[in-house]
Amino acid sequence: MPGPLPRAKSNAWWNRGWPYRVFLLRELSAVAVAVYIVLLLLLVSQVREGRGAFNDHLDLLENPLFWIIHAVILGFAQLHTSTWFRAVPKSMRVKLGGRAVPPEAMIFGMYALWVGASLVVLAAFLVEW
Amino acid sequence: MTTETMTVTLEVFRYHPDTDSEPSYQSYEVPYREEWVVLDALNWLKDEVDGTLSYRWSCRMGVCGSCGMMVNGYPRLTCNAFLREFMPGPIRVEPLRGFPVERDMVTVLDDFMEKLTDVKPYIIREEEQSLDDGEYLQSPSQLADFKQFSMCINCTLCYAACPVYEHEDEFLGPAVLALAQRYNLDSRDQGNEQRQQLIWADEGIWDCTFVGECSAVCPKDVDPAAAIQQAKVEATNNFFISLLPFTPPGMGR
Ligand code: SF4
Ligand code: FES
Repeated sequence: MPGPLPRAKSNAWWNRGWPYRVFLLRELSAVAVAVYIVLLLLLVSQVREGRGAFNDHLDLLENPLFWIIHAVILGFAQLHTSTWFRAVPKSMRVKLGGRAVPPEAMIFGMYALWVGASLVVLAAFLVEW
Repeated sequence: MTTETMTVTLEVFRYHPDTDSEPSYQSYEVPYREEWVVLDALNWLKDEVDGTLSYRWSCRMGVCGSCGMMVNGYPRLTCNAFLREFMPGPIRVEPLRGFPVERDMVTVLDDFMEKLTDVKPYIIREEEQSLDDGEYLQSPSQLADFKQFSMCINCTLCYAACPVYEHEDEFLGPAVLALAQRYNLDSRDQGNEQRQQLIWADEGIWDCTFVGECSAVCPKDVDPAAAIQQAKVEATNNFFISLLPFTPPGMGR
């Protein structure tokens, strides 16, 4: 008598639908962010080597390969950020005056901060020092 | 064709523990009715075609939590999954994923039940208040802290959506952790410490990788993923507070 069917485990779970695929991409986005940090540290280390080395490094970054790498990293960074924003109201309950702040308001607030911070960075680039 | 004469194909998972060494799928033509849910079609099959078909159900109104099955690969309460959502079919009906199968769509729930019991899902008091002192009072705001997590009907759809539960035998899983959190957040409860050891262990909240599908499939908007992430934040805060040489006011457990 075979008895109950043992529970099945499948490694194909990540391909069962978009939510699972997006989850994997979200986890993978941390790698993209880490790669960017390495690229940034390399750039900073070239500053220490002096102007010549720094300019050589900038020339290297003009290479289409680096453009592509940066575009991919930017895409992952967007995913990373937006998925984290969505996660925050789940992991925190914020109460104001005894009432819970609705998740949408928290997410909106974080996007507003993001846009604000991006504008400050943009301004820093555009303003002549 | 009028809806009176229309039919739809149901591909039903079949497994009999006494005779089958492997599961199989059997196709049936069932009448299509606009107001029928998948459970109605199964009941029609059982009454009219094959009385051996086995599955659980009771309330037919999304309350008892017993009619959960995979419908076209997605965990659903079959009493609120309308045939019309899946037309023109075929509609594949299988037992909830991640559980052993007793027979056809009947899953073995022992593991879930044991884990549920382990987290003590009831109000624990260090000392009971005497009856003369009346009931334990609770403000609407205190009720709101846990109400969402108390709506769980133990349908286990969230388990069927969770790849961690599928792969980690020890993982307590979404509904059990949400229910533990439900009692931990209840102002009348004092059992936090008793539950902590289990919940804050690896097989508790830390096995969760926050896929989040448990909350997406939950028919009662319990949001177990939120319960688990909140417990993670609490456990982390608690860890850092325990490193301090003093207990900040209002922070001690
Ligand atoms: S949390 Fe939702 S999906 Fe999970 S058992 Fe409870 S009601 Fe069902
Ligand atoms: S039969 Fe009770 S929830 Fe579906």
